Amino acid sequence: MTEEAAGNVYRVQDEVSLLRASLTGETEAWGEIISRYKDAVFGLCLGFLRNRADAEDITHDAFIRAYVNLRRYNLEKRFSTWLFTIAANLCRNRLRYRRNHPVAELPPQIRGGTDPATIVARDDRHADVREALTKLPYGYRAPLVLRFYNDLPYREIADILSIPEGTVKTRIHRGKAMLKELMEEERDPS
Amino acid sequence: MIRAARAQPLVTIAFLLVLGLFAVAQTPQARFEQALRAIPVTDTARPLAAFALGLSQPDFPAAEVIQLAERLAATSYSIPEKEAVLLSVVVAMEEGLPVDGLVTKGLEGLARGIPVPQIARSLHQRLILLAETRDLLYAKGIFSVAPGSPQSVPTALPTPRFNLLITHISDTIADYLEGGGSPFEGQTLLQEVRFRLTTLQGATLKVEDVELVLKRIGPADLTRIALAAVS
Amino acid sequence: MSPNSIDDILRDALRQEAAETAGGLARLEERIVVELGERRPRLRVSDWLRQLLAPTRGGRIGQLSVVGATATICLLLGVFIANQAGLTNTSPGIRLTPTLAEDGNQEVLFVLPALDASDVSVVGNFNSWEPTALEDDDNDGIWTASIPLSPGRYEYAFVIDGRWWGQDPLADEYVQSFGEYSSVRYVGGGDGA
Repeated sequence: MTEEAAGNVYRVQDEVSLLRASLTGETEAWGEIISRYKDAVFGLCLGFLRNRADAEDITHDAFIRAYVNLRRYNLEKRFSTWLFTIAANLCRNRLRYRRNHPVAELPPQIRGGTDPATIVARDDRHADVREALTKLPYGYRAPLVLRFYNDLPYREIADILSIPEGTVKTRIHRGKAMLKELMEEERDPS
Repeated sequence: MIRAARAQPLVTIAFLLVLGLFAVAQTPQARFEQALRAIPVTDTARPLAAFALGLSQPDFPAAEVIQLAERLAATSYSIPEKEAVLLSVVVAMEEGLPVDGLVTKGLEGLARGIPVPQIARSLHQRLILLAETRDLLYAKGIFSVAPGSPQSVPTALPTPRFNLLITHISDTIADYLEGGGSPFEGQTLLQEVRFRLTTLQGATLKVEDVELVLKRIGPADLTRIALAAVS
Repeated sequence: MSPNSIDDILRDALRQEAAETAGGLARLEERIVVELGERRPRLRVSDWLRQLLAPTRGGRIGQLSVVGATATICLLLGVFIANQAGLTNTSPGIRLTPTLAEDGNQEVLFVLPALDASDVSVVGNFNSWEPTALEDDDNDGIWTASIPLSPGRYEYAFVIDGRWWGQDPLADEYVQSFGEYSSVRYVGGGDGA
């Protein structure tokens, strides 16, 4: 089988088959898993870490670590939950490390668009919310990212962050309130 | 015989009535002692002395402390296990710490049917948090003065106000830890404390007390307290 | 800012940010596959079979609880709206916000839909965790109790036919207590919310 043909076969297989193939050592199957999840994992890491280079690093490490530990994965749970848990733990470790070895934070990015007036206004608010998110404590930022970037239900966020579901709801609720406050401060520094 | 049999329920009712009146008329100390004997604790002198100290404090929840002892007595756990629950409350009373949070947590645990040793561990952790929180406020120059005493400095708060601060700060940290939070997340801890205090300001806490505390404590302080409770 | 707009802005901002910076992910699969080389996870066939055959209980229960919670909220909202609109004859209308009582305390309403329950009460630190009964006089399955509370923070749970339920959809927050949920209401004061 050519490499291309093998790739096509893997693409149509379902997740369980891909994972089983990965377990038997077929790293190409793992490659397909990576391509399915890399955006989700990277977005999670970027949201958590607020730094592009770190997010790329951790995304890479998360897939390596997940592959090495794949036999510990419990099929009763969703694969994405398990993978995101690994990524979240790596992010947390990296943040701890960064506390002692700080680097520049991700600068807010503003881009124009086809309809300048609305796009600029929208991007302004995007920039504000990103900056506010960076200022938010990790304990609030992480549930917000999992909720609004990864679109996860409270139960899964609770599993990934190892905190109770009620705490997730409370943190998301308060996190949003804090974001609004921070955004207002940014607009009106007085 | 028949007349005697008819009279028996009446006598019983009268007896219960007298007993009820007697119970109502009892002083808090007497009721607490009665509950201690029902457990029965090995030494009543220490808890009784602590209870007397508690009664001398403003806003002391005597009825709830008695309820806790009474409900403990009604459980089928061993005497040392029941004493372990009471011990945290006794130590808090001896130390002049506010006991509201401990007592309500104990009552909740018993109502939920939580094993008594587990309740004892939870109260022990909360006791440490209370003591550590008070030490922190002292270290930050925030003190308490007995009601009626002259207020030497603006940061010396009347005891009830000071105690409410200790109660809510330590309770927030306890809830956070019990919910699986990490002591190392000082920023999050501070946010939780800030939320609790600012939500209650104007209700049970004074705005100036909340501002004073929030101005003087930082994430590292709270991490240190939380670590003391989990180690 | 409307309550939903922060959700949308946050969602858009995070997605846009990830999309703009995802350039470094190109060929990530290839790099990792090469790197993994001969590092292969060892498969224990027995574990794998056991996992494959095990029913997915956890997931189902999780889904059920989400459905249940959503249904509860919808039911409550329905009752609330119906009352507001005068669509039902359940008098008096349910007031969800505390109202001031004569003694300076506030009347706090506890309300819980429990269609098949025969006994509903609320326990909390305002009643020493001793049950205060909720009433359902018109048998519509909506149980209520109005309890005068002084300003402060209150932890509580409902007890439905002997079983504790600590996640009141109307709570201000939840805490974990002895591994179980309790609901929390703040009465009076405050600017932290």
